[in-house]
Amino acid sequence: MQLRLLYLYRNLTRNWLRTLLTCAAVALPIVIYVLSAAVIEGLESYLDNSAKQLRLAVTHKSSIINPLPAGHRAKIESLDPTRTRLTAVCGLRWIGGRVENVSTPLSTIAADADTFFATYPDHQLAPDEIEAWQRDRQAIIVGRATAGQMGWNKGQRISILPTLPPYHPIEFHVISVAEDAEDPVTNWFRRDYLEELLDETGAPTGLVSFLFVKCATKADLDHYRVAIDQFFAGSIDETKTQDEKAFINEYITQQFNLPRNLAILCAVTVFVAVMAAANTMSMSFRDRTNEFATLKSMGFGRWFTFVLIQSESLLLCAAGGLAGALVPFGLFTWTPLKDYPVPLIQTLYIQPVVCVRAVGMSLLIGVAAAIWPSWQVLRLKVVEALRSLE
Amino acid sequence: MALPFLYNWRNLFVRKTPTILTLLVIAAVVGVFTWMLGFAGALSSSLSVAGDEHKLIVIKRGATAESNSAITVDEFNKLSQLDAVARDPATGESLQSPEMLVQIALPRVRDNGKTTANVAIRGVTPTAFKVHRNVRPLDKVFDVGALEVIVGEAAAKQFGLELGQTLNLGYGSDRGYTVVGLFSADGGPMESEIWGYLPALMNSYNRTMYSSVNLRLREDADAKSAVDQIKGPAIQLEASTEREYWETQSSLINIYLAIAYVLVGIMSLAAIFSIANTMFSMVAGRTREIAMLRTIGYSGTQVLTSFLIESILLSLLGGIVGCLGCAAWLALAGNTKDMFGAKTFTTLAFTIRLTPMIIAGSLLLVTVVGALGALWPALRAARVQVIAALREP
Repeated sequence: MQLRLLYLYRNLTRNWLRTLLTCAAVALPIVIYVLSAAVIEGLESYLDNSAKQLRLAVTHKSSIINPLPAGHRAKIESLDPTRTRLTAVCGLRWIGGRVENVSTPLSTIAADADTFFATYPDHQLAPDEIEAWQRDRQAIIVGRATAGQMGWNKGQRISILPTLPPYHPIEFHVISVAEDAEDPVTNWFRRDYLEELLDETGAPTGLVSFLFVKCATKADLDHYRVAIDQFFAGSIDETKTQDEKAFINEYITQQFNLPRNLAILCAVTVFVAVMAAANTMSMSFRDRTNEFATLKSMGFGRWFTFVLIQSESLLLCAAGGLAGALVPFGLFTWTPLKDYPVPLIQTLYIQPVVCVRAVGMSLLIGVAAAIWPSWQVLRLKVVEALRSLE
Repeated sequence: MALPFLYNWRNLFVRKTPTILTLLVIAAVVGVFTWMLGFAGALSSSLSVAGDEHKLIVIKRGATAESNSAITVDEFNKLSQLDAVARDPATGESLQSPEMLVQIALPRVRDNGKTTANVAIRGVTPTAFKVHRNVRPLDKVFDVGALEVIVGEAAAKQFGLELGQTLNLGYGSDRGYTVVGLFSADGGPMESEIWGYLPALMNSYNRTMYSSVNLRLREDADAKSAVDQIKGPAIQLEASTEREYWETQSSLINIYLAIAYVLVGIMSLAAIFSIANTMFSMVAGRTREIAMLRTIGYSGTQVLTSFLIESILLSLLGGIVGCLGCAAWLALAGNTKDMFGAKTFTTLAFTIRLTPMIIAGSLLLVTVVGALGALWPALRAARVQVIAALREP
């Protein structure tokens, strides 16, 4: 066994340049594979976390953009006055926003002050922060990535220019930089404050962009998903209720079908890696036809040579795959790149499971690359091979 | 005298397997690159149509796009103070078009309606066709007062809208509007929209205010001073030329392009390593031949050039296969795409076409990749020790 391993090692190191080039040619596509898979995985886990929260998103039936009347909240709450199945309803109004003279768009949402924490327990604020929210109508919770980008801290006064009415800068007090929240980007403030400002400027009040309904169990979620739409059917402001995961997915795919395009990119990169590795394996097979013929004539048998070629290919591609997976993992976990805002999915986090999957994929690439030469070696006719002096 | 071209060409086919495999690697990289160039090119050419310097888009002060702006009838009337606004020579009416912008979520045809996109619906009056000069109805226009709409060609293609189809518009999605015609807008952003009669749509959406006003300025008028006058104390609205308005929308493209270039860069590196691998093996297998060429009289530089040319030939072949593959993919999977305007919140549908410029760009990339990949092996070939090489078995 040791001899065989030594032979394997010697074969790979015989031509260092070829080995390194092949590893690199496999590692680079794997880098892209890891990045793409991380984005898809990140989206999935974000969506799954939303699914765990058992929240329903209620939007206007005609389009996600059209607002609903705030009065819908009371009507939804009337569907379960005991609050055992339908635990909280929170109206949200998106105002986008940006800081004056800074072009980066923000994601700022006004939420009903009283039911915000009941609907969004995943924000995990400290008790004093919760108290500050209840007390101060100008309170705002800023996303930690946004705070980092804008240089905002807890206790600071900030001013945001909204994308929707009222069209003047709004003053806020930062009461929390949500360190433990899932969503690192969105800023949350009180909707009663917004209504006040809208009233002052004479803009239409009493509108919400959507309503989020927190349910007690999965069965309740499925029940109310249908019940709410039935309740508002036929009225002027018909609703479309989906669970939060479907809602966010719809919002993302409206912009750009990212998951599908990334899957195509992954397929292309794997193809490139297979071709590059197959190139090397077929070249080394060609160079060593005599050697394989000699091994066969010595009695090592066709399966030994078959396994030899497969093992070489697997080792090469595994090495390339490992390098290709570790580089982006290292970059996005231990360097400042990890907080860099990426459009659509906010920040990129490379899950270890994605790296493991990439190495697995590189092993498959190794097998695929070695198929043709290892098949050839099975059929290799010893006498003819020894005769050709290539 | 340089090494004959046919020599380089024939060499590629001596060992078919490495040639084909390397060719496929290059083709894959080029295919992706061409697609991305096509995407970016189609998007920017669509946006460049929207570059009229004599058309002003007027929205509410503080709003960032037509879709989140609201202009009252009073404010619209104030705009008639502007003497820079052109007048229709036939009727004398001033060319200012009040418009209302709403959205509807429509399913995309190419993935069988699994995903939807936000399409803009614009309520217009007949003046709009005089203000937006590049919008040309191809069939009939909606009748004043009737529940009819016309659809831009790009929108029709991307979202499968046909003549005679009914769309449920209105605040309660309960008013059935019939599609009575298509219109073309030179491939610009307006071709992704649905147009209807303004008062009818305002009624259907319970609106009392316009979203925006589009003005056509006189040819000799100065856009900047007109914009300043609109922003001034008398009118107090926000205005920009069509070119400026869309310039900021296209900022998102630059981010996508940057990411695309990084991806293609990484894959090109992989292609370079692949080519290098192949060329090293080729050089190693032909040391005797190279030595022979040297003895005949070819210099080291000529040998180096010969290998470079061989590699570039191989890459160009791969590039051509890649471009053909991309063209085939576009033909099969559909070449209409849409992109979200982050500020307008509506989609921009456009068609990807492989222009000669794009193909030239891809082939240029491929030439560079081929040359870089072969550099080191070619140097090694040029430095072959003639006598020793002739002696080796």
